[in-house]
Amino acid sequence: MKTRRELLKLTGVVAASLILSTGAIFSPAYAKISLEEALKKHLGVDLSAIKESNEIKVKAPSIAESGANVPIQVSASIPIEKVEALYIFVDKNPNPYVAHVEFTPLNGEVFFATRIKMGATSPVRAILKLKDGSYVMAYKEVKVTVGGCG
Amino acid sequence: MASIGRAIVRVPKKVKKGQGFKVQLVIIHPMETGLRKDPKTGKKIPAHYITHVKIYLNNNLVTKINSSPGISKNPYFAVKMKAMESGTLKIVYEDNKGGKWEKAVNISVEG
Repeated sequence: MKTRRELLKLTGVVAASLILSTGAIFSPAYAKISLEEALKKHLGVDLSAIKESNEIKVKAPSIAESGANVPIQVSASIPIEKVEALYIFVDKNPNPYVAHVEFTPLNGEVFFATRIKMGATSPVRAILKLKDGSYVMAYKEVKVTVGGCG
Repeated sequence: MASIGRAIVRVPKKVKKGQGFKVQLVIIHPMETGLRKDPKTGKKIPAHYITHVKIYLNNNLVTKINSSPGISKNPYFAVKMKAMESGTLKIVYEDNKGGKWEKAVNISVEG
C-alpha cells in the first residue's frame, strides 16, 4: 500500500512533467515565427500597411474551450469581384499563418468557415487581399484556456 | 488509420439558379504539425497535413483553399458559391506526403 507521502510525491512529479511538456510546445527550438515575419513571408507587407475594415466580419467564440478546435467564420460585404484571397492568421501561434483561400466570381460572396488550432489567447485575423493589391483586415480576440498546438 | 483522406461533403439537395449556397466538407486527416511528440517514444511525430483543397464545378475552379497544420484535426471547411446549371461538384485535396484524393457530388439546379 502507498503511504500518503509517496502519493504526494507522485502527484508532484506528474504536475511537474505536465508543466514541462506544455512549456516545451512553445520553446524556441521550434523556430517560432512572429506575426510580422509571417505577414512579410505570405503577404509581403507590414501590419501597419493593412487597414482595418468594418466590412469584414470575423465570427469566433470569445472564449474557446479547447485550442485544438476553434470554429471561425469570416464573411465580408466587399464584392467578390474585387477580392483575390482571404488570409487567416493567429498572432500567437508558433506559425501564425493558418490558411488562405483563393476566391473566384463563382463564389458569389466572401464566405469561409473552418476550425483552427490556437496555442494561446490571441487575436484571430482575417486579411483580404483585394484585386488592386491592397489589404484590409478585421480581427477577433479569442481567449484560449487550453492550448491546442502540441 | 485506413480512413485518412475520406471526405464528407454536404450541399443542399436542390439549389436555386444563381443563388448562393453553402458547401461544407470534412476530411478525415490527422493534421500533424510536426511539433508534437509521441508520448510513448518521445520522438517527434512528422508533419502530416492537408496542403490544399480545390473545389470545381463542372471542371471550373471555384475556390482553392490553401491549408496548413494550423487547421484542426479532421479539417472542416465551408465556402459559399453559385451555380447556373446542374452539374458535378468535384473536390480535390492533397496532403504533404503525396496523398491525393477526390470526391464528387451532384448539384441540381432548379428555376
